[in-house]
Amino acid sequence: MGSIAESTQQALVLLFGGDPDLWVIIGISFKVSLTALLIATPFAIAMAFLLAFGRFPGRRLLITTFNTLLSFPAVVVGLTFYILLSRQGPLGEWQLLFTQPAMVIGQIALALPILIAMGHSSLQATDRRAWETARTLGASRTRAVMTLMREARFGLLAALLAAFGRIIAEVGASMMLGGNILHYTRNIPTAIALETSKGEFAQGIALGLVLLMMAFLLNGLLQVVQGKGRPVA
Amino acid sequence: MGKGRMTTLKGFLIGLLSLSLLGGAFAASERDKIVRLATTTSTDNSGLLGDLLPRFTRVTGYQVHVIAVGTGKALRMGRDGDVDVVLVHAPAAERKFVRDGHGVQRLPVMFNDFVLVGPDDDPAVVAKAKSAVDALRRIAEHGGVFVSRGDDSGTHKKERGLWAAQGLTPSGVWYREVGQGMGKVLQIADELNAYTLTDRGTWLAYREKSRLQVVYQGHEELFNPYAIIQVSAQRYPDLNHAGAKALIDWIRGDEGQQAIAAYRKSGEQLFKPSANSVAVR
Amino acid sequence: MTELTYSAVRKTYGKREILAGVDFSLRSGRCVLLCGENGAGKSTLLRILAGMERPDYASVTRDGVTRRWREVKKRLLADCIYLHQTPYLFEGSVRYNLNYPLRGARAIRESFVREGLAWSGLDAIADQAVHQLSGGERQRVALARAWLRRPKVMLLDEPTTNMDHACRQRTVELLHALKQEGVALVVTSHDPNHFVGVADEVLELASGCLGRAGPAYMDLPEKVTPIDRRARATA
Repeated sequence: MGSIAESTQQALVLLFGGDPDLWVIIGISFKVSLTALLIATPFAIAMAFLLAFGRFPGRRLLITTFNTLLSFPAVVVGLTFYILLSRQGPLGEWQLLFTQPAMVIGQIALALPILIAMGHSSLQATDRRAWETARTLGASRTRAVMTLMREARFGLLAALLAAFGRIIAEVGASMMLGGNILHYTRNIPTAIALETSKGEFAQGIALGLVLLMMAFLLNGLLQVVQGKGRPVA
Repeated sequence: MGKGRMTTLKGFLIGLLSLSLLGGAFAASERDKIVRLATTTSTDNSGLLGDLLPRFTRVTGYQVHVIAVGTGKALRMGRDGDVDVVLVHAPAAERKFVRDGHGVQRLPVMFNDFVLVGPDDDPAVVAKAKSAVDALRRIAEHGGVFVSRGDDSGTHKKERGLWAAQGLTPSGVWYREVGQGMGKVLQIADELNAYTLTDRGTWLAYREKSRLQVVYQGHEELFNPYAIIQVSAQRYPDLNHAGAKALIDWIRGDEGQQAIAAYRKSGEQLFKPSANSVAVR
Repeated sequence: MTELTYSAVRKTYGKREILAGVDFSLRSGRCVLLCGENGAGKSTLLRILAGMERPDYASVTRDGVTRRWREVKKRLLADCIYLHQTPYLFEGSVRYNLNYPLRGARAIRESFVREGLAWSGLDAIADQAVHQLSGGERQRVALARAWLRRPKVMLLDEPTTNMDHACRQRTVELLHALKQEGVALVVTSHDPNHFVGVADEVLELASGCLGRAGPAYMDLPEKVTPIDRRARATA
């Protein structure tokens, strides 16, 4: 078993030496997680709007539910959808288990509570006058909604980044629903789990570095954007 | 955010979405070119399948999606119709699987054997054991730590069989059920300086990274045959049976059997082909 | 020449009756000053007039046609602009805010924005981010933004609160300009003296009813006793 320094050195060689397998894994991770985010976001934003500005019975309960789902363990999400998607399960007809769409579904389920809860609180925090001002200046409902999203864009962006951060680094659901199939459903976290179990720490570290750099980049991006737009007072 | 940049972003997102949808459609049309194989961690972690399957793909055009889990889980996936074919090593469970109508036929592919690995100084003096059963009894009595797979895999089934053969139910702090794959268990045993039962293939693949030694081997109780089973076409007519059949024919054919015999890890042969021999047990 | 008449406007919050059947009419080029204690319902009335808040009951006559609230709300939103006491500006530059109510081709919008900047005297700070502006500047941005929408009616909630004399002066000048262009104005204020010379009529909202302003607000010759609101409500 090599030392940490040795493994890290090998990791860097793998990363920048353009090891094709490694980059396929990274590509799958991004493809699956971005697809999940793309599908989840419109629904989540609509839901966040509803929770922030709608007045209907059960609204409080829904908010509590989504906040609870925030801390729902990924493996339980994985198990739930495994049971649903298995051929013996109610959605077995779709034959989705151990495919990328199954991973996308699991990640959507993981991303939704974050997007909704954080989106809701950032929309909730927007000034009530923003909506009224938009409307009185002749904005249609749709345009007023867009305006509100623009006013809350930093909070919404933070929600997006947080959700992306969670689903791309999540191993439980991806492992169960994707099956860790090489070149198809093996993404960064499941590959790390596998390589570690094989004692191949170098590849695990290389992939870990990718996740780390990405987290750094996303947070940096968020800081920059927020720094630019936030009022000082 | 300026309006221009907003539009660029939107364009980018729409592009991404259509791309991924396209990808999905593409994958769906490829469905009958994909064979889903549930197998044990020992065949995958040892690197054997990584060596065999590209050859199979070159010959037949089928892509094989490998889902590496314990034998128990693999058989369960076959039973549920979540995979097309299973490659496992637990003869009794396999027979039951076929008998219950979940699989078509159990066909031998290859074999190797289990070995008992443990600390270099062998505190339980397992090396002097007269049989595999005796070896385990020594560990239980002389207080060595034993790491068990604990995941209903083929290796775990084998281990439980050995304990049961002498009417023992192992328990206590010396007996650690970890519920992990073979490779992980070897690592854990290494860290704990403990004994464990492993298939020879995985052991050879991990040997260089481990401080453990083989302390007991070679007894016929430790025979480890692998068989391949196509999932029942009657129960699940819409699985990729043609692909499963192709894989079975290839891996049991000359080319597959020769490739298995030729596969080496650190100069050692991991598996011996057995398609043409009658399974001993 | 637009004329808007609101009749029997009623609004209660829970048990509290804010407006007990108020009648109100607006005519272009006329400025009504609305006085009253804090919490008398001035803002609520303004928001109802603007079509932004639902009254419990009201009927509105617009250009001679009387309509129920549901049908007229859209028209009110199109005709009127409501300005909050502290105006809300969208995050971004002054230019972005002035562009907001505009439609059409970019070049046309840009020329309108230039016009709005000149009208309000904001040329120098056109590209500043709004969160860097002073209160008075923010008020002028909001006014220019409203002006660019070419409203028939403008409803201003306490536009001069917390302003120094010079700022107030400029705001009043802009209100004059709006009046001259034929915009109907309704302004609420604690201190009617700020609007001497602009206001054509001073009304007081008290106990949910509207009447001529009392002596506490302005030295007007006609003293009006507040109308008994129950009598008014049944009328």
